[in-house]
Amino acid sequence: MKRFSMSRRSFVRGSIAGALVSLALPPLEAMLDSKGAYADGMGEDPFFGLFFWANGLPWHAKHGEEQRRAGYPDLWTPDATGAGYTPSQLLQPLARHKVTVATGLEPKTEIPSDPPGQDDGHMRGFMVSMTGDRIRPQGFDQPAHQLTALRPTLDQVVARDPSFYKTPPRFRSLEVGVSPARFHEYGHWNAISYNGPDSLNPPIMSPGQLFDKLFAVPGESADQGRRARVLDAVLDDAKGLRMSLGANDRLRLDAHLDHLAEIQRRLRSTSLACQVPNRPSENADLWKKTSDMAELLAVAINCGLTRVFSFMLTSPATTHVFSNLGVADDMHTTCHNGIWEKIRDVTKYQMGAFALLLDAFAKISLPGPGGRTLLDAACILGTSEYGEGWKHSDKELPVIIAGGANGRLNRNIHVREQDGNLCKAQLTVLKALGLPYTTFGWNGAETSATLAGVLA
Amino acid sequence: MRALFSLIAAASIPLALGCSDPHGAAPPAELTFAPSPPVMPRLTSLQYRNTLKDVFGGVLPSTALEPDTNPYLFYSIGAASTTLSELGTQQYADAASAITDALFGDAGRRQALLGCVPAGSEDPCVKEFLKRTGRRLFRRPQSDADVERWLNVVRSTAEGDVNRGIRMALYGMLQAPRFLYRIEVGEPDPSDHSMPQRRRYDSFEMAERLSFLLWNSTPDEELLAAAERGELLDPDSLRTQALRLLEAPQARPTVQSFFDQYFNLSVLARLDRDPARYPAFSNTLGPAMRTEIQLLVDDFVFRRNSDIRELFSTHRTFVNTELAALYQVPAPGASEIAFVPVELPPDGARAGLLTLGAFLTMNAHPTQTSPTLRGKYILERVLCQLVPPPPGNVNLNLDDMSGNPRTLRERLEEHRKNPACYGCHSVMDPPGFLFEGFDSIGVHRTLENNQPVNTSSDIDGKSYADGRDLGAQLATDPRVPSCMVKQVYRQANGRLDQPGDEAALDALTRRFAQSGYRFRELLVALVQSEGFRTVADSAESGEVMP
Repeated sequence: MKRFSMSRRSFVRGSIAGALVSLALPPLEAMLDSKGAYADGMGEDPFFGLFFWANGLPWHAKHGEEQRRAGYPDLWTPDATGAGYTPSQLLQPLARHKVTVATGLEPKTEIPSDPPGQDDGHMRGFMVSMTGDRIRPQGFDQPAHQLTALRPTLDQVVARDPSFYKTPPRFRSLEVGVSPARFHEYGHWNAISYNGPDSLNPPIMSPGQLFDKLFAVPGESADQGRRARVLDAVLDDAKGLRMSLGANDRLRLDAHLDHLAEIQRRLRSTSLACQVPNRPSENADLWKKTSDMAELLAVAINCGLTRVFSFMLTSPATTHVFSNLGVADDMHTTCHNGIWEKIRDVTKYQMGAFALLLDAFAKISLPGPGGRTLLDAACILGTSEYGEGWKHSDKELPVIIAGGANGRLNRNIHVREQDGNLCKAQLTVLKALGLPYTTFGWNGAETSATLAGVLA
Repeated sequence: MRALFSLIAAASIPLALGCSDPHGAAPPAELTFAPSPPVMPRLTSLQYRNTLKDVFGGVLPSTALEPDTNPYLFYSIGAASTTLSELGTQQYADAASAITDALFGDAGRRQALLGCVPAGSEDPCVKEFLKRTGRRLFRRPQSDADVERWLNVVRSTAEGDVNRGIRMALYGMLQAPRFLYRIEVGEPDPSDHSMPQRRRYDSFEMAERLSFLLWNSTPDEELLAAAERGELLDPDSLRTQALRLLEAPQARPTVQSFFDQYFNLSVLARLDRDPARYPAFSNTLGPAMRTEIQLLVDDFVFRRNSDIRELFSTHRTFVNTELAALYQVPAPGASEIAFVPVELPPDGARAGLLTLGAFLTMNAHPTQTSPTLRGKYILERVLCQLVPPPPGNVNLNLDDMSGNPRTLRERLEEHRKNPACYGCHSVMDPPGFLFEGFDSIGVHRTLENNQPVNTSSDIDGKSYADGRDLGAQLATDPRVPSCMVKQVYRQANGRLDQPGDEAALDALTRRFAQSGYRFRELLVALVQSEGFRTVADSAESGEVMP
């Protein structure tokens, strides 16, 4: 891919005390490398996104014996496999982006019997989709729905891999969420991104807040430097506390201090100039909010603010009420009540939202011949917490891979592997991103195979 | 939740019993109190904002903070077990920036804060300000080295403008873990050599434990002064201070905040109801139901200081016009926003908390009631019993069972014939059936699908006519106050109770009874309890996983 440059006259707009201001940034030369591209910006490297939606698919015969008896049609799995498959009814919204779909996959991790309940899809299925490993048995408490991860989720695996970022950008990763509905107000019911055990990255739920994080006017650089120096004192002040703490609290404090160091790094890094979109207003409509969030992400990625994001459309076991689709109850209850038609409609609507996210990347043209777009540089894994919610079946867990990873991914393929290992999807993505992984998956889910025919 | 793991390990043991033993495990025969290792709570957002208001006064900008979480019902448990995210850390920085801008941006406010017009970084008033402010923010006197650290920030960031340097120092202090976390690890107790691992919270730690428990804020000057005199190691002084704090206006919202979490009232702010089925539902109904319970709690705890168990049987409540219409009671003087006390009719279906809109509505679905959720709430929140969730892969669909229009209760009875469901539903549903006389928004009804509603039920071999009947029984059931004690204890300590806490819980329950179940007396007893004043060595806090 040819390196590209952006307008030399960029403005950062932001709101100070309610007034719209324009701030001309200093000359850009310092931020451009010899070829005229941003030093930390979009180049040859693909970017990664993790898209999550709740409650899987409408159930059908392939999910299990009982689902077969009920006789619901499979509206998800395309009839044919291979390149150029004809999209199924539920995949139709994504057809314009020529996504690859993998069907038949499922989590393969062992299920410890103690403490009981670790087979639950909202928890086990979620954890395998996001981390390739089981739930951490220590601290798992089923009646309270308490659990944590054993390792980072895929977005953080990528963001922390030393070979992914040669120079870390302003944000190693961005976490955003759309539906505010919550099954519980704690743990992974609120957030899908883990740094590791107990350390969650809560998503930004408001487009305006995301805008401010990305584009709000930074202070003048002398001020940024002073603030960075203050953090030296904060870090120094906290050092003396460590030894008095127990082991767990020391880890919590250390995580906090690591975050302070990251903020300090940001204060000392050069800010990039981006073509700033308008600050979006708040909107409860999931599609509108998805588009607003997606546009901000696309701009941020395009101007090199980050190359990793996670996107939580709905949170695990979501209690979102899709009243716009004529669904009276929350989605989790509607699933358990077995109202198949409504789950079908909700799934199609969620795929529509996924397509809107991809639209935002497809809208941004990359310079150079070939009419390439930002979506061609993308590698986006879309998945859910299990196969279907009615019986919590983790069979047929949905997997979508979107984007071209700068030519490393073949597109528009249907791979079907009955009872296949879900971790093949994650390994495929890691390899598409050029990361040096040869195996992925733990505790029974290990694999060194990728999805057939997906890597170019 | 690694941090939580060590806290819940022992408490989880009764779960192995599942639903076969609704009363939980029998307490051990001999009770000896054993303290637990310390927890390190981060200030909740409410405590953070209250603290800044108390330290700096006036109106301060309120920016977004990391959301609080409530595992095991209480934000204090989330505050003591979650790890702050990078976003949350950035939000503290942004908040510190906005607050210091507000305090220093206005010359009058800045001078009131500093108490002087400093000539430069070495002006003694700068050091004095840092010392004074550090003592309030960090909740104990500051050593010279502590003050020097922040004075160096002033020196290195002033760059010719001392006010800027002081603002930057304060910007740093507001992000310091010593401000954001409560580090309470105790000290050896010279009067107790019997158990070397048993430590007592020091006087300053007790000051902050008291004030965050009773005010959700930082200690005031009087409490810090008492701590400096070493008074807060003594149970009598603790009682005096606790009574003083409970008399202050800050205690009322703090007690409300406990009941809000204990009774799960926040869900009333975001109810969904199918408008076709519940035309009487409005977006103001849930908040009105929440206000009703808050007024009722305030009435019991503060205005009348009466036996809190009667919450479950009282005919007294507080209504606005919307609730008066829902309950069909006359309420002279009520308006949409004005609540008035009313007496529910003695022969009516309602009496007590469990027959009021809040409980009935929050434990129901948007389209139908849920005896299961109502029963589960009573078992878990009122009786402190644990109910496991349904096993995976079970049929939760009650609609596909054939037959003529039947009541939800009949369908649930059918479903309980399934052995996979019976174990827990036979415990959860019977108390819930008692409330089938109230629909999904708490309206009284006698018919469902044109079938008469059956509100009677047997629980533990005893028959009840309806929810009111159960409420009258709960008002004298010894499990209710002992559960309330346990919930207060968990909230106050920011962790689940452990086996070593049993003796302290028992003693508190006895003192609660001796007080005639006055809730404020329970709080006073709690702050005097060894369960609130002592702590194990932090080295015992357990494993670090690879």
